[in-house]
Amino acid sequence: MLFKQISPHHYKYRLFRPIPIAHIFTVNPRTIARKLGLIFLLSFSLNTNCLSFELFDSVQIHGFVSQTMFLTSGNNMFGPSISNPSFDFTELGINGSWSPIPNLLLSMQIISRRAGNGYDGSPNVDFGLLDYSHYFEDDYKIGFRAGRIRIPYGLYNDTRDVAFTRPSILLPQSVYFEGTRDFTISADGLLIYAELLKPWGNLTLELFGGYNRSNELDAKFSFLSLPGNLEPNPGFSGRLNYESYDASLRFALSGGYIPMDYKSSSSLIVGPTGTLIPTPTKGKLTFTPILLSSQYNTDKWTFTSEYSPFFINTSGLNTVVNPFADSNNFAQSYYFQVAYRFAPKWELMTRYDAMYTNSHDQNGKESELKSQYLIHQLIKNTPNLSSLEAYNLFQFASPAHSHFAKTLTVGLRYDISPMMMIRAEYNYINGTAWLPTQGNPIPGETKQYWDMFGLQVSIRF
Amino acid sequence: MKQITNNQLSKRVERCIVSLLLPLVLLTFSPMSAAEDVVAVVRKGTPVATPISRIALSSIFSMRLTTWPDGSAIRVFVLPDDNQLHSIFSKQILRLFPHQLRIAWDRLVYSGTGQAPVVLNSIDEMATRIANTPGAIGYLPKDTKDDNLAVLNVE
Repeated sequence: MLFKQISPHHYKYRLFRPIPIAHIFTVNPRTIARKLGLIFLLSFSLNTNCLSFELFDSVQIHGFVSQTMFLTSGNNMFGPSISNPSFDFTELGINGSWSPIPNLLLSMQIISRRAGNGYDGSPNVDFGLLDYSHYFEDDYKIGFRAGRIRIPYGLYNDTRDVAFTRPSILLPQSVYFEGTRDFTISADGLLIYAELLKPWGNLTLELFGGYNRSNELDAKFSFLSLPGNLEPNPGFSGRLNYESYDASLRFALSGGYIPMDYKSSSSLIVGPTGTLIPTPTKGKLTFTPILLSSQYNTDKWTFTSEYSPFFINTSGLNTVVNPFADSNNFAQSYYFQVAYRFAPKWELMTRYDAMYTNSHDQNGKESELKSQYLIHQLIKNTPNLSSLEAYNLFQFASPAHSHFAKTLTVGLRYDISPMMMIRAEYNYINGTAWLPTQGNPIPGETKQYWDMFGLQVSIRF
Repeated sequence: MKQITNNQLSKRVERCIVSLLLPLVLLTFSPMSAAEDVVAVVRKGTPVATPISRIALSSIFSMRLTTWPDGSAIRVFVLPDDNQLHSIFSKQILRLFPHQLRIAWDRLVYSGTGQAPVVLNSIDEMATRIANTPGAIGYLPKDTKDDNLAVLNVE
């Protein structure tokens, strides 16, 4: 029991709090726009500590804006970033929530994301859900969420797009891989959850069933390099989370089972050099990610580590441009991260992050040979191929270094105010396993050793 | 001669004790002990018994517990993250660091699974808002006097 028993006359069965309907209609879009404009003006003034933004008691509006600059060597990150800075990474989001009665919440978030060629900034519904929970005792509740829901996965997926909640400019790419973003970010379906609030800590179990989101981009650009669509079949995911009562310790076990059908109307893709490459028109793809998370917090330090065994099963997708040519692929990722708040408003962080797309072939040599062999067969079977075309085709062979990535990150963050933050970060990277292929379409031209420097400014309200 | 030495000795002992105790006394009354000076406050008539358990209080301020025992909504008011009273209340009363509270609120707000507390700019505003909002809870300096407010002691 969290609350002490109190005398019965204190109890008023007032579950439904009346809300004056007039209040709802006094909010016109013009006022909202004016208020938003005001927020952005205020957020740039450094003296502003906070901004309460309630339309009325039970409605809240929040949002965020982040602009990032990347400067890299060797490979492009979100736009042409080699040697010249690229500003092609902008994240914008606004959300509203309404709690008409206690324990019932309606919420929606719209996100606009511009990230190189991959995302053009067109707004989409990130989540739109109804959340209802019921306390059986005051320390034990069960609830459900229906609609488009953020997938509970690891420590950071719930708020992945909000720079303030990330430990670095980008999340550790080994675990929160850009290429599978749309499958892992939010999904349409039903989630049931149970939460225990006890003196020994807070235990939460979330179980989701439904359809994961996907779009053409993912199949085309990210990890498959194929032209068709991925159509999700019903899948499941879940998370068991423990947090100690003082929030110093956090452990989580997350997992998912996401089956998808691959369909394409064309059996050929045109490479950037004009070469035609045959591709399958039909296939199946199943993701089975597992994620173990742990975090230890003190006033000044935060130690975080996550480890992810990741199973990718494909059938019918054997092609020269598919990096997961094995029908049963076992990928592994992990990272260790330390954050140190050495002075108020300042945070220094460092992280070692590793990813292997095939853990039976950590240096990628076997996968490279396999890819070269497939291209060689293709060249042999294609009559009248010029030597230039043959050379171009060979550029599509996945190099050994595209099957792993080891990243060392050092970053500094300064919170100008609770609403505004800037950070600078340097990454030294060996391998290209998590490199988005949008800006780097030809595998043979990617560089194994590269640097990535980033600057980020972010506002939230 | 001997007496003087004794006197000197006792004075020295006295001085020793004072010099040892003084830092202790100072420590006890330094701003670190401001826990005594900040209290959780609810609107008078809120259906909750005092003292409240620390876990219930921290669950309320981390927005996990959203209803009072009678099922009515809890309205949480806080001061900005970098406010000193907020920091003292978080660390000493809730036993949570301000950045941990912020992480908990952000997780709810930006995943659509909960709402954040309302951030106010001053102690005066806090007192007024709590007094005028049904189901309100916040924190104030201990010496605040207001007939519409009730102090919620922690077990």
